[in-house]
Amino acid sequence: MTEIIIHPSNLLKGVSTINLSSLKKNKNWTPYLLIAPTVIYYIFFWLNPVIASIYSSFKGVDGSFTLQNYITVFTTTSFGEAFGNTAFIAGISIVIEFFFALALALLINKKFKGSAIFLFIAMIPMAIPAVGAAAIWKTGLTAHGWMNSLLYYLGFLAKGEKLLFLSGSKFSILWLVIIIDTWQVIPSMMIILLAGLQNLSKEAKEAGYIFGGNGLTVLRQITIPMLKPTIITAVILRLISAIQIWLIVVMLFGFDRIPLLLERVIYYKEELPRLDNSYQIASTYAVITSVIVTIAAVVYLKVSGAFDISKKEVM
Amino acid sequence: MWENTVSKFAKKTLFYILITSLIIIILTPLYFLVSLSFLSSREAYQFPLPLVPAISSEFKLEKGDKGYMLSIYEKGDREYQTMIDTKDMEKMSTYMRLQLSVDVSTEKLENYISKLDQQNEVYFKSYKGLLHNYKTFFAITRDAVPALIRSLQVAGLTILISLSIGGMAGYAFARYIFIGKNALKVSVLFVRVFPAVAIAMPMVIILATIGFYDKPIGLSLVYSVGTIALTIWITASIFLGIPVELEEAAQIFGATKLRTFITITAPLALPGLAACAMYAFIGAWNETVSAIILTQFNPTFAVVVYQSVLGATDQVNLAAAGGILMALPMVLFTLFIRKYINQMWGGVTA
Repeated sequence: MTEIIIHPSNLLKGVSTINLSSLKKNKNWTPYLLIAPTVIYYIFFWLNPVIASIYSSFKGVDGSFTLQNYITVFTTTSFGEAFGNTAFIAGISIVIEFFFALALALLINKKFKGSAIFLFIAMIPMAIPAVGAAAIWKTGLTAHGWMNSLLYYLGFLAKGEKLLFLSGSKFSILWLVIIIDTWQVIPSMMIILLAGLQNLSKEAKEAGYIFGGNGLTVLRQITIPMLKPTIITAVILRLISAIQIWLIVVMLFGFDRIPLLLERVIYYKEELPRLDNSYQIASTYAVITSVIVTIAAVVYLKVSGAFDISKKEVM
Repeated sequence: MWENTVSKFAKKTLFYILITSLIIIILTPLYFLVSLSFLSSREAYQFPLPLVPAISSEFKLEKGDKGYMLSIYEKGDREYQTMIDTKDMEKMSTYMRLQLSVDVSTEKLENYISKLDQQNEVYFKSYKGLLHNYKTFFAITRDAVPALIRSLQVAGLTILISLSIGGMAGYAFARYIFIGKNALKVSVLFVRVFPAVAIAMPMVIILATIGFYDKPIGLSLVYSVGTIALTIWITASIFLGIPVELEEAAQIFGATKLRTFITITAPLALPGLAACAMYAFIGAWNETVSAIILTQFNPTFAVVVYQSVLGATDQVNLAAAGGILMALPMVLFTLFIRKYINQMWGGVTA
């Protein structure tokens, strides 16, 4: 999925650091007229389907209210697997992606000859649609694919020797998915962090050195805290989409091999439509996934102290 | 002094080694996808895969057991390898086109064969049709061209809907204080938390009741949910950057609010609005999941490529061509919007 990125300082600027004097404070119906289309749109095309989804997750085959769908989901073994796989992929990939991206951003943090070209190249992976990425890895990871060919040309594989990427153990497949994901995400995350670093004032850093800090303490006590809003934006967007991973996995391994939370939704909706309650089960998985994403996002924001930051800025 | 220069030089070298390896890691998978999309079916089955797709092939024709024997020069083994032995020139020509991506007419083949009366072997060289896989992709994937057009329609409509609706709200966020502003601000970001699939499933019925199911407008209505939120955030910060004084000045000179917006504010906001439009385009072009659910007989291009990649276990070169067709517009697009993205990130500069 293409990550869509806005610089956090701009993001906050839009609402919180408002120049109060320039605002029209008179009681005016204009703003309500301006936001009305958005509100109506969201009621009709967001709230409406969301409520419909929640409603059908509580609906039995005979149309009555029931908790049976949730009981069914929670008692099938594939739910535990789907949850575990999703948590494993999301958790590890976010940590790896964040630390790699941050390290690279700190190392690259300056203009250099060819930086414009480098940044363009780094933007390419995030522009590749999920379907395109799937084509890359599907052609690459089969036994006769380009990855084995490359390893052969580089001398890592003897003639006739092939690595069977796609038919490894579940554990190695999960790692493979993480590596694929990392290829696509690190460059884009690096660019966000790089942008954040460029916006930091140099004076604070210099002051840190003047007062006797070494590189590491300046990094830990000045650069990282100042970069915090950027980091939070980058990680939260990533967190939301990492938990919703499924397409690349299904395109490489098919349905049901590596169950994931969202993969289950599509699996019941598209692959198992004959069951009486497959639509309800799919909705149930969708609702559960949203709840998990929400909890993960709120917990992350709480732990990272994002709420404090926005409170401060609103003041 | 000398040591200083050396360490500076070493640092610089290390830095460029880092940059170069990053570029290599990013570009290698992309290179192979491109290269694979230019391979003939025969090349795509070789192992190891050729690093560079051949531009031309050298052939040898001689009399065989069943008729005439066609061999192709194998660069790796430095010898000719027999491909087909047949009397039927039509069959040989088709074989060359499908398996080797080489277009040689039957007349030409017969011409070569007539020379076999005087000599034992005839050698000839033919250029490969590099775009062969792309042509085949469109030829064998029913619906690829209409799907491409539909994808463009969906993207265009998404831009229209999200820019008009989101732009208005963004302006309100930047210029006015109103009740529920903060609640709206948070809820606008919250929409991304509910998976698109979960929205798409009930939307089948909702769209069907208003007659938009399986139509580009229906899909763009769903895609706009995410892009409106983004447009509000981006446009709010853009409009905030445009001084209110400019608008007030125009109004003092007698312009209406609408006229002020059209003649003063909108032109100033244009680069940002363009960026919003492009984000909307990217989102709509790339989206696959909702498109699978919300289309039946009129899939978008992403769905067509999804199906061909999913089913292309034995035709990797075709899958690669599909992947490139899907990715190329986006990469060109990124090249085009690079400037705007950089602006929004606060100038990582280009």
